[in-house]
Parts: sequence; C-alpha cells; structure tokens
Amino acid sequence: MEEVWKDITLNTFHQERPITPLDHHIYHHHHHANSSPSFKGMILQDFLAGPLNRPLHVSQTVVEQPPLPLPLPLPPYPSPALPETALSLNSGLEFQYLGADATNSHSNSSSSGHNASFISSAFSSVAVGPPSPTDLFSLCSKKRLQENTAIGVDRHHKRMIKNRESAARSRARKQAYTNELELEVSHLKEENAKLKKQYEELRSAIGNPLPKRHPLRRSTTAPF
Amino acid sequence: MSRDPLVVGNVIGDVLDPFVKSTTLRVIYNNKELTNGSELKPSAVENEPRVEIRGRDMRNLYTLVMVDPDAPSPSNPTEREHLHWLVTNIPETKNASFGNEIVCYESPRPTAGIHRFVFVLFRQSIRETIYAPGWRQNFNTREFAALYNLGDPVAAMFFNCQRENGCGGRRYQSVSGWT
Repeated sequence: MEEVWKDITLNTFHQERPITPLDHHIYHHHHHANSSPSFKGMILQDFLAGPLNRPLHVSQTVVEQPPLPLPLPLPPYPSPALPETALSLNSGLEFQYLGADATNSHSNSSSSGHNASFISSAFSSVAVGPPSPTDLFSLCSKKRLQENTAIGVDRHHKRMIKNRESAARSRARKQAYTNELELEVSHLKEENAKLKKQYEELRSAIGNPLPKRHPLRRSTTAPF
Repeated sequence: MSRDPLVVGNVIGDVLDPFVKSTTLRVIYNNKELTNGSELKPSAVENEPRVEIRGRDMRNLYTLVMVDPDAPSPSNPTEREHLHWLVTNIPETKNASFGNEIVCYESPRPTAGIHRFVFVLFRQSIRETIYAPGWRQNFNTREFAALYNLGDPVAAMFFNCQRENGCGGRRYQSVSGWT
C-alpha cells in the first residue's frame, strides 16, 4: 500500500488532467448514492466514468496493485493514478481551496484543464513541495501521506539541486569563453593599433613617396 | 569579481589556487591554436597537442600537467583529477616533445557530461626527476606541485570536451504533454 502511494506521488507529478472543476463538483454531488462504501471509492469511480481525454503515463506498480475495488475498465483506462492521488485530499472543501490556488499552478496543462492543473499541483505540491508547500501541507491530512511525500520531496529536491548546479556550470562555461574572447579581441585591437602606428611612423621616416625601384642602368664599363 | 576565464570556469578553485600568469603557453591541436574555454570534440584532441612555451632563455625548464577535474562526470567528480599527461624538463622556447614524458598522453574520452581539461605549466628551478604516480585517477595538482617544490603555476589553459555525439547535456527534448 505504501509503495503504491509513493509511486503515485512521484508519477502524478508529471501528469496533467484535462478535467474541468465544474465536472468534478457534479460528480461529487450526484454520484454520492451509488458509490462504494468509502468516500475514496466514490471519487475513484467518478473519475473513471469521467471524461479523461489524455492517456496518462502510469507506472506498472500502480496499475497492478490497486488498493481499492476498482471496476473492470480500469486497466485500459488511462487514469487509475489520478483518482488515487485525488483521494489524498480529504474533502471537497480542500478541492475548492486548492482550486482557488490553482490558477497560478506550476504545471503546464492546457488552458482548459483547470481542474487538472489544480489536482496535479495540489498533490504535486503535497508530494514534491513547490509553490506553497507549507500551506497545502497544513491543510491535507498528515500521517501516512507526509512520510511518502517526504521521500518524494527529497528526491525532487536533490534533482532540483543537481539541475541548478548543472545550470550554474553551464553558465560559467559560457561566461568563461565569452570573457576569453573579449580579452583576445581587446588584445588584438591593441596590437593592431600599435602595428598600424609603427607602420605609419616607419613610412614617414623613409620619405613619403615609396622608394622607387631603380632598374639596372648602364654606367662606365670596366676596361678589362 | 574576476573576469579571468580560469576563475569564471572554476579552474581556479577546483584545480589551482590563484596565481599570476608569467609565461605564454600555446596549445596547438591539429594546427589550430586552442582558445581558452573553448569546446573541442574528442576526435579533435585524440593526439597530443604541440605545447609551445614562449620565451628567450632555453635554460628555463618547465613541467606540464594535463588533468580532467570532472572525471567521471562533472556532477559527481569522484575521480578528480584524472591525469592525462605529464611532461617535465621542457626547455623554454621549445615545445613539449623536447621534455621528458613521465605520463603519456591519454586521449580525452568523456562519457558523461561536459568535462574541463586543464593544462598547467610550472617553472622548474632545477632539472627535475619526477616520478609517475601509481595511477591516473585522483591526481592532485596542488599536492604534486608542493611535493616537487614547483611553486605556483606560471600559466594555465583549459578547454571543454564532451562525448563525440553529445547533446550538450540536454537530455529531454521539449515534448508537448510534459508538465
């Protein structure tokens, strides 16, 4: 069970869900009656029934070990990860709060995918701690979620640091080369100016008209 | 903030301490003079370069060290520095082929990331007998200089090198669908 959650938090960071917030609300209210006993089950089925446009990348382990009784269409369906991650959020209230927050979420989902982006940002924030992790943390249920997301945060954090270092090295490389070229250019300009000056000085020293080449001329022939 | 390419490229720091350049070093690969901080392909640096030391007094002798501080990869340089070449007793005005090659030239073949390859020149006070280290990995230029009393470097240059068909470290193409 724990591994599933872990996989979910890591995988779903990369995913986007083009579901509108409105649809989600409707599911929440309408399908309450005919759902499986748990709150979790209801959301899950709703999502499965919902209009998920884009196939998602789902890890093997997530598909193979569903913690809840999922209806049959699950395997071909692209979305088992999504509902399960959505379950990480406790109540509709949270969804709403997060929805408000979502508009400036970091994921690049398509413009129509508000819900998608907020869901992914919601749990991705929970899982991997970008925009306002502390806010979301205080809201969501702690306990087991925190453990797993801590691991996710760590990995993401390390990756982020590595990426930053790499970017810094890249900038340093570029800057070093640029500096070297600038130095060379100024050096060469200086040398060029100096040489030109020397040339001019030498020219004027000799006498302006360039010395004419004297072709061989006859002069007195020796008597022997 | 220094604009010296050696400082900006972190050669000063990772490999050397700050020094004052007092000799002109020219490194020539395939008849092309190396520009500090430029990037070369492994195929271009396969064979040893001609290393010229400008000057007037042939009695001055120099030691040349070539290391890779980014081995095996710049983000994880556990083998810093990897020794690629070590030549001693190079007379001023001449090139490295006139010296004693203690450690032969090893062609750079970086597998991961973009590596820096650094040439360091030391002026010797006397004709030296320098012994090759037991292995190329984890060479320490600073310690080496201290061990043989070479003092501060008199010149240094570096170039960047990555795998022959490297992509500059970029692994992912931007694909729509990735967040």
